Amino acid sequence: MTMALDASISGIIITDNTQQDNPIIYCNKAFEKITGYSRKEIIGHNCRFLQAQDRSQKERSILSRCIAEGVECRVEIRNYKKNGDLFWNELYMSPVKNANGEVTHFIGVQNDVTARKNAEHDLRQQKLMMEKRIEERTNELRESEAFLSSIIETVREGLLVLDPNFNVLSANNHFLRTFKVSKEETVGRQLYDLGNHQWDIPKLRDLLVKILPTNNPVVDFEVEHDFPHIGKKLMLLNAYRVEFEGQYKDQILLAIEDITERREVEIRKDDFLSIASHELRTPLTTIKGYVQLLDRAMPQNASEKFLSTFGKVSVYVERLNSLISELLDVSRIQSGNMELHMARFDFDNMITEAIEGMRTTVPGHQIILSGQTGAKVVADESHIAQVVSNLLSNAIKYAPDSEKIEVNIANVSDYVKVSVKDFGLGMSAEDRKKVFERFYRGVEIQKKFPGMGIGLYICDQIIKRHNGTLWVESEIGKGSIFSFTLPKAGKETNG
Amino acid sequence: MDKKKIMICDDDEGIIDVLEMILDEVGHTVISVNDSLKVLAAIDREQPDLLILDLWMPRLSGQEVLKHLRKHSAHHQLKVIVISASRDGEQIANDAGANQFIAKPFDLNNILDSVNALLN
Ligand SMILES: Nc1ncnc2c1ncn2[C@@H]1O[C@H](COP(=O)(O)OP(=O)(O)OP(=O)(O)O)[C@@H](O)[C@H]1O
Ligand SMILES: [Mg+2]
Repeated sequence: MTMALDASISGIIITDNTQQDNPIIYCNKAFEKITGYSRKEIIGHNCRFLQAQDRSQKERSILSRCIAEGVECRVEIRNYKKNGDLFWNELYMSPVKNANGEVTHFIGVQNDVTARKNAEHDLRQQKLMMEKRIEERTNELRESEAFLSSIIETVREGLLVLDPNFNVLSANNHFLRTFKVSKEETVGRQLYDLGNHQWDIPKLRDLLVKILPTNNPVVDFEVEHDFPHIGKKLMLLNAYRVEFEGQYKDQILLAIEDITERREVEIRKDDFLSIASHELRTPLTTIKGYVQLLDRAMPQNASEKFLSTFGKVSVYVERLNSLISELLDVSRIQSGNMELHMARFDFDNMITEAIEGMRTTVPGHQIILSGQTGAKVVADESHIAQVVSNLLSNAIKYAPDSEKIEVNIANVSDYVKVSVKDFGLGMSAEDRKKVFERFYRGVEIQKKFPGMGIGLYICDQIIKRHNGTLWVESEIGKGSIFSFTLPKAGKETNG
Repeated sequence: MDKKKIMICDDDEGIIDVLEMILDEVGHTVISVNDSLKVLAAIDREQPDLLILDLWMPRLSGQEVLKHLRKHSAHHQLKVIVISASRDGEQIANDAGANQFIAKPFDLNNILDSVNALLN
């Protein structure tokens, strides 16, 4: 019998309930192995020695109750080996009764289930962590969805999400409001079928079918259309097709901005400036006329001082006139209304005339022309002449102590190139970067010289419109060279 | 140079005054009309050799005046110099059939040169 018990891999003990404190009277080999204690350290002890100081486990009270009541039980309880290591003990305890029904002994069968316990614990831990992470992710997702939809609902732009067949997946409030439609009549329907086919616009079809597939995204595409309820509208469309893999792939975001009013305001501003400049020029014409009449009637014996003062009047009349033109130009550039009248002209001739014009207003300066192109150029002659005059007048203005200005013209491949070189103040690297910006004026220069800071901006815009480039090289105290290139064949052929 | 009859039509008195002075100085006879509605009648009456015409005028624009002259009147051959301060003035003038366009503010020498060129 003992041999059979010793062969078991479960630890087995027997306690004698008839003795005080229910001592262990038998243990098998497996029990010694599980606990690390030897037989002599076990026999005679109460089982509680296995719990070491870990006395407050609820399994203990279950055990005590079962012992007191003399019933069997099964618990999993933390026990400690001789060396102090924890092990989970799965304990079956059953009472042995005598003929009178009194409990004389208890048999305990123990198994070390630490490994299983640990695995269970790990599993639980992992499950908890997973749950926590999932909750976090869900929250994050919910938050970012809420964030996204709050953005979508706040933008002052109509937004539509379309599936690849142009069915509307969602529409934001701004869209619904602008086009006076409801969510029900919009979401889930084909874009072209909405309302009375009001979105079945050929240009929009072009955009979605022809342009978007090859030019993703499409930016600022203008469409004008007469809508029911709201009338004729000018819209700016931006479209983007989702290209990354996933649930949104090939969906199309369509942003629709109503720019009808903005465009009207721009046109009105343009009109206003046209009228204002016209009205300003009218009295200016008269002033200039009188000045010229006086000039013709100039007495022979007029003093030097009189003559030079008189000369200045014309200079400032010209200045006022060019300021008026510049203002008008800036407004036109802003609203994209600067028209180019492209025509073939003799380039060298235009340059000579521009220089001549400048010579008469500032006779004190020496403008030296070198080089020749012999080119017939297709461009807007008056605009290009304006660029040359602007560069010359800057060269004169910002070189007050030097009289010489060098102009060089040359052929460079299929371009003509013009350089205007002065020996004046020059400019810092900071200024070099910004002089072509609208209203920018040199930091040092602002207070000493009059000007609005738009001359170079206009030049740059004009040259850009012609597909040429305008740039500056300059060094403080040495002078500046402004150069531009211009395609001879006109901008179309040079794309 | 022959003495010629030149009519000026502009709604601005200052400009009329300046043009009168310079043209008078070189010996032409100048007749001015500051109300464009009256210019066609004045042309019939005065039979000028040349018209200097502004574009932006209240009531009837110079463009209308010129178009009418070219199409419907006995004066469709009348030499016309258009003067204007508006940006698209040159385009309008050429389209309407002007012989010459001069932008405001103009140079008096320019005016005289053009007048001479057209009258001879
Ligand atoms: N030749 C030059 N030498 C030195 N600085 C220059 C020269 N040309 C331009 N700049 C700098 O670039 C700035 C911008 O020039 P821009 O012609 O645009 O405006 P502006 O001359 O100040 O005024 P305006 O609009 O009346 O021409 C000038 O204020 C000046 O600081
Ligand atoms: Mg300038």
